Amino acid sequence: MKAESTILEGKLVSIGYTKSNSTNILAESLSFQLKKGKLTCLLGPNGVGKSTLVKTILGQIPSLSGDISFLNKNINHYPAKSLAQNISVVLTDKITGGNLTVQQLVSLGRTPFTNWLGKLTPEDNKIILDALKATKTYYLKDQFISEISDGQLQKVMIARALAQDGNLIILDEPTAHLDLVNRYEIMHLLRDITQEQGKSILIVTHDLDIAIETADELWIMQCGSPLLCGTPEDLILSGGINQLLPNEQLIYDPGLGKIRPTQISSYPNIQGPDHIKQWLKLALQKNHIQLPDDLKIEIKVSPLTFNLTKNQSTQVADNIEKTIQLIQQLI
Amino acid sequence: MQASKKHTSLLIFSGSFLVLCLFLINIAVGSVHIPFNELLGALLGNPMAKTSWNTILFEYRIPKALTAIIIGISLSLSGLQMQTFFRNPLAGPYVLGISSGAGLGVAILILGGSAFGWNVANNAGNYLTWGIWGVIISGSLGAIAILLLMSLTAWKIKDSMTLLIIGLMFGSASGAIVSVLSYFGNAEDLKLFTIWSMGSLGGISGIQLYILCMVCLAGTIPVLLMVKSYNAMLMGERYAISMGVNIKTLRWTMIISTGLLAGSATAFCGPIAFIGIAVPHLARMVFRTGDHKILFPASALIGAAFLLASDAISQLPGSAETLPINVITSLFGAPLVIWLILKRNFSNEF
Repeated sequence: MKAESTILEGKLVSIGYTKSNSTNILAESLSFQLKKGKLTCLLGPNGVGKSTLVKTILGQIPSLSGDISFLNKNINHYPAKSLAQNISVVLTDKITGGNLTVQQLVSLGRTPFTNWLGKLTPEDNKIILDALKATKTYYLKDQFISEISDGQLQKVMIARALAQDGNLIILDEPTAHLDLVNRYEIMHLLRDITQEQGKSILIVTHDLDIAIETADELWIMQCGSPLLCGTPEDLILSGGINQLLPNEQLIYDPGLGKIRPTQISSYPNIQGPDHIKQWLKLALQKNHIQLPDDLKIEIKVSPLTFNLTKNQSTQVADNIEKTIQLIQQLI
Repeated sequence: MQASKKHTSLLIFSGSFLVLCLFLINIAVGSVHIPFNELLGALLGNPMAKTSWNTILFEYRIPKALTAIIIGISLSLSGLQMQTFFRNPLAGPYVLGISSGAGLGVAILILGGSAFGWNVANNAGNYLTWGIWGVIISGSLGAIAILLLMSLTAWKIKDSMTLLIIGLMFGSASGAIVSVLSYFGNAEDLKLFTIWSMGSLGGISGIQLYILCMVCLAGTIPVLLMVKSYNAMLMGERYAISMGVNIKTLRWTMIISTGLLAGSATAFCGPIAFIGIAVPHLARMVFRTGDHKILFPASALIGAAFLLASDAISQLPGSAETLPINVITSLFGAPLVIWLILKRNFSNEF
């Protein structure tokens, strides 16, 4: 049962580059199991070897030791064409094929399946149209790719990977340099693809928040540590997620659901509702303000006021900016 | 989609018709005036009014027009391959240094003549009978030598950009040797070589034309086999690999194909400028596609038409003088391409 639910498995894989007699090992003893039909996010700092791991999985560079098997068969034993029929990618490379229409670009995904001339069968065309519809880019199909936005292009690239119709899609930073809305849309699109079409997806990303929100599984890669795998929820509760933050000054706060400084002033002199207090504290922290013991702040809602009391005299501000200015005058 | 397919076949059809018309115009112009109806009659098998016309038409003008077609196709196809393979809009048939190699071979033959004690041309500056063969063979040997060097390099290195730069370096090195030879060459030889380096479509006939045709056909076959891989290369090398394209095979067929096409074109007709770089861009702009199934035939048609037209213009209608073909291709071609680039947003086309 376990063998069936795993599509890609790595056992004690070492990755890196060999260059005339010297080897540069980037990461050692990586073991992982990519679960079938799940969305997995690979996180880690720059330079830790995420892209190299992806290249190794794709068989573009050899692993230095260990095995990577895809559907229980060593990845290096697949001929190039059959690997292309099984794994498709979305890379960070810039696409400049200016004279291609969106539909032609997506059609290129059928390359491993077509004859030597690249002739598309009616079945190929159906797969292409389905991929366009699944990524909600059907309306763009006759536009040239130089005429669409970055976010649209990224969806089209995902459509192309879908049209390649393998079991596994690997995406290298698909949401980098996209705006917030597009990031969410693309990650949710990928999530829908895993759930509706049963494809397995591996995403290399730096977007921790969105990864936690959408991924079924996280792989955390950190220099000198083995690959840490698990559901995002479990990794948060066990504190494993902090492996992403080697810096002692930062910590992932399970309560807040985000990263915050380890040392946080509690500001006991502030009184008021938590959801407002939180933002005032943030502003104080940003300005490196330590409140003196004799300065008391009381927050009142409706209307929103901040009452600052020091030596029996009270001053009132109606927003945080003014509050900070008053505090700076008082201390 | 349906509409654009119809549009494309219409363009291909009118392109073929254009080539046919230009072929007729090309053989109709020249220093000797031959009436057009006589010309058509001769093509249909009727005897001509003067036997000298017959000789001019069948032994000079038609071979020259056919040469123009073959060379136009060869240079455009190799240029398109280079641009797509290297993902570089400035690449052309000369980037692998193969034509410079041909130039070096011919330079050694012509300019080295006085040193080695042979003459390819008589005192009037016309080639001796063995001279034309000598030029073709030495050009081919030069091209083959550089092709072998490039192949050795391609075997060692994996990166396409490095290959491009090394090709350019081979070109510069050959050019430097040619300069040394020119520096020591005597005036007549130098003039002969300069004229060769301006390109010429004339002087190829009979068995030479047959050989040129065969070599170019052999160079076209790898192009046809690799159409699909070239389309995948539009997205760059890494995507092509991820779609199962064997980049090594593609690189070797590209080197062999352009070696045959550009090498033979240069060996037979001298380095003909402009066609190889400009025609693929013209094809992209006219046909508005990136699909090589269309771009290859389109470039071939435009290349043939362009060179036929240039050659007709170089006859300077009404005059006995002819200008070198390179002058015409660049002089008329450059403004045409500039106009197209300004009209359309060029950077989006590539």
